[in-house]
Amino acid sequence: MIASPDTTSANPIRTITVSIKRQNGPAEQPRWESFQVETQDTANLISVLQSIAARPVTTEGSATTPVVYDAGCLEEVCGSCAMVINGRVRPACSALVGHIVGEDNTITIEPMGKFPVVRDLSVDRERMFAALRRVKAWVPIDGTYDLGAGPQETPDRQETRYVMSTCMTCGCCLEACPQYQKEAEPKSWDTSFVGAAAINQARLFNMHATGATEKDARLEALTGEGGVNDCGNAQNCVKVCPKEIPLTESIAAIGRDVTVHAVKKFFTGR
Amino acid sequence: MSTHAAPAKSAATVPFIERHYFLLRRLHSLSGVVPIGLFLIPHLTTNSSIVWGSALHQGKFSDVVARYGSDAAGVAAFQHEVDFIHSLPGLIMIEIFALWLPIAFHAILGVYFARTGKCNIDRYAYQGNYRYWLQRMTGYVGVAFIFAHISSLRWGWTFGGLLPSFDGAHAASSTASHMQDGLLGSTIAILYLFCVLGLIFHFANGLWTAAITWGLTISTGAQRRWGQVCVAIGVALAIAGITAVIGFVTLDPEDAREVENHLVGQAAQPAASH
Repeated sequence: MIASPDTTSANPIRTITVSIKRQNGPAEQPRWESFQVETQDTANLISVLQSIAARPVTTEGSATTPVVYDAGCLEEVCGSCAMVINGRVRPACSALVGHIVGEDNTITIEPMGKFPVVRDLSVDRERMFAALRRVKAWVPIDGTYDLGAGPQETPDRQETRYVMSTCMTCGCCLEACPQYQKEAEPKSWDTSFVGAAAINQARLFNMHATGATEKDARLEALTGEGGVNDCGNAQNCVKVCPKEIPLTESIAAIGRDVTVHAVKKFFTGR
Repeated sequence: MSTHAAPAKSAATVPFIERHYFLLRRLHSLSGVVPIGLFLIPHLTTNSSIVWGSALHQGKFSDVVARYGSDAAGVAAFQHEVDFIHSLPGLIMIEIFALWLPIAFHAILGVYFARTGKCNIDRYAYQGNYRYWLQRMTGYVGVAFIFAHISSLRWGWTFGGLLPSFDGAHAASSTASHMQDGLLGSTIAILYLFCVLGLIFHFANGLWTAAITWGLTISTGAQRRWGQVCVAIGVALAIAGITAVIGFVTLDPEDAREVENHLVGQAAQPAASH
């Protein structure tokens, strides 16, 4: 059941202009289209995009195709709806009209610039998942026999790891990073900067009692070109992270770990 | 488990910078702190001795003060510092291996690494992002400045009289007369101060990021506290840098030259006066 819009209180129906950078396909030229949308201050940007999809007519009155976008959970846990809203990257589901609409009653939306555009606001974040494979962001439990119960976790450690585990691979940290550049070619993904999200995941799984068995392999991956050393310490990542993950602490912690790893490797050879 | 497993590369086909990436990155970080940053501290305190020398060393240089007035202590202190540096055994070896080569290494790798970034302060105008951008800009400016600085004042390349040279026996007066040499002198003094303040920022901010790179400061609180220490170091060095320029711009080169000539005369016959 959909509640009827509350028009009596401080949340009236209002008309805003939404400018969207559109692109028909990966190789197509982008163009701008704007739409008049009836919405409310408490509405999120996904519902604004839904309104546009329901009536895809531009401000000039010409009919167009519905704007393509990704969205899943609508509660800021799946990470699929990150886009550049008024020049700043953020998940569209948690962007409320009243918080982001400008003085000129306009909202500007662009797809993230660091990933290949599939169509309109939908981008291909495959490189992020390749980065998770690169740093082995998993707990190795597959085997031919029952490994039994894992080691115990202290509440303190669990608390530190919890916030790190809330990463949803949305890509905001990478979009805002001046050291992370668009790389359409998967071949270059092994040596281009891996980014804050994957570095944080490496730390998360290194801190896991069973996950730590892959610690050296993760650190080895982050020691070379495109690893943690490529961070330029602009620290934009932590500012734009919608989950408020202490990404810069993870980067510094991995920085310490690769220092120790490199010294150990120098003296022991592995 | 990667679907596109790359064939194993033999060592010969992997570029040098890729094979030694970690080492080069960390040597780049280290060289900025030691020796380059460490050198910056005595360099700027030596320069500013033209001012603090007259404040602190009236007694030490009482003979020149008695003869030439209280400003002479600054001239004598600066000359004393310069003479000490020039008296170091194997100075040219120290210069080549502890300064010029590390600076060249830091500069070449720094430019190479800086070119991997793309400035986005127009969209993300955070203070940290500004510092990220400034670190790279001051790096570029610093490379040009340090080359001009060493080539003119140390190697004597004046580029047709455009840049000043340095007279080691008349340290203060030659510096002061260059900085007071009309429009060219004022331009050089202002550009010099601009570049020195840029490099001081580069050092202080680099000291802050190096602590993250090496993993010394991990928590946000630790990074903030170390940041405050770096600001304090930067402000102290900036005061030294500004003080030195003010000292040389306001120094009378003729008077300073008399003091220096007196000191040269003294050095020629040390036994006579003591």
